[in-house]
Amino acid sequence: MSGVNVMEKERTLIVNPLKTCQPLGAMYAVMGVHHALPMVHGSQGCSTFVRYNFARHFREPAEIAVSSLHEDAAVFGGRKNINAGIKNLALRFKPDLIGAITTCSSEIIGDDVFGFVDTTKKELKTMSEDVKGLDKIEVIPIPTPSFVGNHFTGYDVGVKSLVEALAEPGEPTEKVNIIPGIVNPGDIREIKHIMALMGIEGLILTDTSDPFDSPLRPSVTPTRPYFPKGGTTVDKIRDSANSQGTITLCKYAESSATSLEKKHDVPAIIESPPIGLQNTDQFLRNLKKLTDCDVPESILDERGVLVDLIADNAARYLFDKKVAIYGDPDITTGMARFVGELGMEPTMVCTGANSKTFTPDMEKISKETGTDIDVLFEQDMRSFEVYVNENPVDIMIGPSDGRLLAQDLGIPLIRVGFPVYDRIGYHRHPIVGYNGGMRLMELITNAVLEKYYEPTHWKLQQ
Amino acid sequence: MPYKLFDVDKEIPERKKHTYVKHCSDPEECMPHCNTTTIPGSMSERGCAFAGAKGVITGALKDVVHVVHSPVGCTFYAGGTKRYPTSPNMPDGSKFPIENFNLKYVCGTDLMESDVVFGGMKKLKQSIIEAAQEFPEANAIYAYATCTTGLIGDDMDAVAKELTTELGIDILAFNAPGFAGPSQSKGHHIANHTLFDRLVGTKEPPTTTPYDIGLIGEYNIDGDLWILESYFKEMGIRILSRFTGDACHDELCFMHRAKLNLVRCQRSATYIADLIKEKYDVPYINVDFFSTKYCAENLRTIGKYFGLEEEADKVIADRMAKVTPELEFYKKKLTGKKVYIFSGGPKSWHLAIPLENELGMEVTAVASQFEHEDGYVKMKNRTREGTLIVDDPNSMELEEMITKDKPDLILAGIKEKYMAHKLGVPSIMIHSYENGPYIGFEGFVNLAKDMYSNIYNPVWNMIDFEENPAPEETEIDVESGETPENEAKVSK
Repeated sequence: MSGVNVMEKERTLIVNPLKTCQPLGAMYAVMGVHHALPMVHGSQGCSTFVRYNFARHFREPAEIAVSSLHEDAAVFGGRKNINAGIKNLALRFKPDLIGAITTCSSEIIGDDVFGFVDTTKKELKTMSEDVKGLDKIEVIPIPTPSFVGNHFTGYDVGVKSLVEALAEPGEPTEKVNIIPGIVNPGDIREIKHIMALMGIEGLILTDTSDPFDSPLRPSVTPTRPYFPKGGTTVDKIRDSANSQGTITLCKYAESSATSLEKKHDVPAIIESPPIGLQNTDQFLRNLKKLTDCDVPESILDERGVLVDLIADNAARYLFDKKVAIYGDPDITTGMARFVGELGMEPTMVCTGANSKTFTPDMEKISKETGTDIDVLFEQDMRSFEVYVNENPVDIMIGPSDGRLLAQDLGIPLIRVGFPVYDRIGYHRHPIVGYNGGMRLMELITNAVLEKYYEPTHWKLQQ
Repeated sequence: MPYKLFDVDKEIPERKKHTYVKHCSDPEECMPHCNTTTIPGSMSERGCAFAGAKGVITGALKDVVHVVHSPVGCTFYAGGTKRYPTSPNMPDGSKFPIENFNLKYVCGTDLMESDVVFGGMKKLKQSIIEAAQEFPEANAIYAYATCTTGLIGDDMDAVAKELTTELGIDILAFNAPGFAGPSQSKGHHIANHTLFDRLVGTKEPPTTTPYDIGLIGEYNIDGDLWILESYFKEMGIRILSRFTGDACHDELCFMHRAKLNLVRCQRSATYIADLIKEKYDVPYINVDFFSTKYCAENLRTIGKYFGLEEEADKVIADRMAKVTPELEFYKKKLTGKKVYIFSGGPKSWHLAIPLENELGMEVTAVASQFEHEDGYVKMKNRTREGTLIVDDPNSMELEEMITKDKPDLILAGIKEKYMAHKLGVPSIMIHSYENGPYIGFEGFVNLAKDMYSNIYNPVWNMIDFEENPAPEETEIDVESGETPENEAKVSK
């Protein structure tokens, strides 16, 4: 009987974290709102480091404002900064929405972001007598102290703050809310593709697919670079209260989904990302359950192509290969299940987050795949490194931060998750859905062929 | 009026004094207002003091473990912005056992809510002890305050002092929390002083020669330092201490033994050169190695100082012979191209004249995230009439400049790069480079090549779908008479 062996961090020190702080997740969520701007209430590093990380991963502009907290705010509080920051953004950019995102500094000095935002909104209303439209700008306080949770929980706080402030009951719609998690444009587009084939309109909370993968068309671009095409409109977020249901593509977005359920009776389904066959099957069943739509032939054909790809190649090239997976708790879970479907062994998984569902999910996958899984829980990249040095694996799967280790050990690294900055195109391709499964299957198999097969061997001729 | 208010700044008129249009007849005091706090709600290019300390000054050291005393974010980001390669070579001839140690690891205390409430000193102490156990190869441990620990008031110096005795290696505390000062410049300042106070003069070098120099403010971005090192080596000059590119901890401890200090980045590192001069009487000269002319001039100055003029001339002649033909080609291609330099600070004045004189370009705007007055004086002196000099520019201003003025190229950071592209203008990363190194003779060719390949990237001629494409002959480049295809071949 196979099972999991949970290994928690034995040091206080964190070395090469596999998580970052809450504000990044909140900024990501706001970037997915149409014509919206995140404003970080903190030091300039809090915006600059995140802009740098988004820019290098998506290779797109990531326009994030900052309230520029300094020593005086540490003494007198940051009210002036957040107030002036919101007003300057409102006047200069006239966005539809501003997300006022707190950090460690603004939380420690005790800034009441909700109170400050209320006051500022009143001022905007007065100012709107002179400058039309200022009163229409939604300003959403998003409390994300950096010393609580991680960027995954920050994402959840971001989405939850948006829906709690905006969602309002009205006519029921046939839409289904999707909370994608911190994923790539390719993933969101694949989800929309699946839903379109099923004839379901998705309401993505929030939709970063176009903002983080936008066309270069300076002659016709209707909006400026800080207002890219796409994103979920404020009106659509308001309408999320009237959807048939909500499906999350990550378990860390639970509170956003359940908030809609509690307040507006929108049934919530909290799921792992639809990575691989069984998880995508489950996603289709969930859609069917909420909408009563049938799964069309076109999707079943796509499924069939993935099955064909696996049937043709997995047993021949991938069977028995040991895989170590690290990073995002939910992507890691999805990947572990998928490599199991390919006949590989997910012998070790590692996450930096303290996700409650991670270990139970791994127990299920262990039973399903018959693999004993070492679960490095709330760990870091250094623990991962020490482990794979002592327990060799054939393939590593995770973000680019494993690249130097992969090179030192000569183990192929399949780049998945955030951030991927040393290769191009990874943000454009899905890892979810049947199409994502094909992409992953191809990446993994080609890496195995490259590394474990002699280039001149006759086996590569047929 | 020498100052300009951008259209996009009409709601924040205080920005006007930060944007100066150069007029040769203006009095000296006319220059952008600088080194003041950013207006809240801006999309500023600036970072924080912690980024200035760890990201710029200390992150380049090859044998030091860095412990960031913070919630996890600052540690994660300190790891994500490392850009300085290192060699394993140590001053005593040995090799540091872990290659690119500084690029591989970053440590932190991962502070939680309870630490914020009860204080993080215990956690810091435990973390530093564990860092020493985890990396016994390391020769020192540097710990960093951040916004959180600055605000909760952890006494990091006390922990550093206690553990230096206990662990038997230098433990340093850098008190440059993110909110300190208007920009990362404050972090440079604090790090300079901390390194001077704690280290300089505490150790002696294994050997000394009459030709020992300190190379200060050179961080080895994309291998810049190694280019300069090769020149010095051929001249018979030894770099005793690097501050801090490809340096080891001990080199900082014997910086006082250099015969001459060269200050390369004069924004981030003049502080320590001044301190060493004052206390140890080691003279320093400001140097400029960007472009062939500055590089040659400065090598001659250094050669003269040490009586090695002939050796300097030999290096210059050798390199000039190698780079001149290529530079001539690039000059032909780049002449008349309009370029902006949006650097962190000094590169805006380092590169302005070289791009104009040696490559024929027109520098019509320069900007800096964190320069002080002395830097803006140089920018003003080295730019042409009418050049826009902007302090702490923000995204909207850059957009206005690009859409109105349509430059051919922008030298800026990764945050600006993709925005410029969306507006149809190519951009090169000037902070961490694209295909560097950019310094010295060979580096200047690399920069010219990157500028050329970006400006002449065929895609810029294909941005829009053409319903009725013009007849083929109009595609021939009027200036050179070459078709885009031929261009691609020349660029190799």
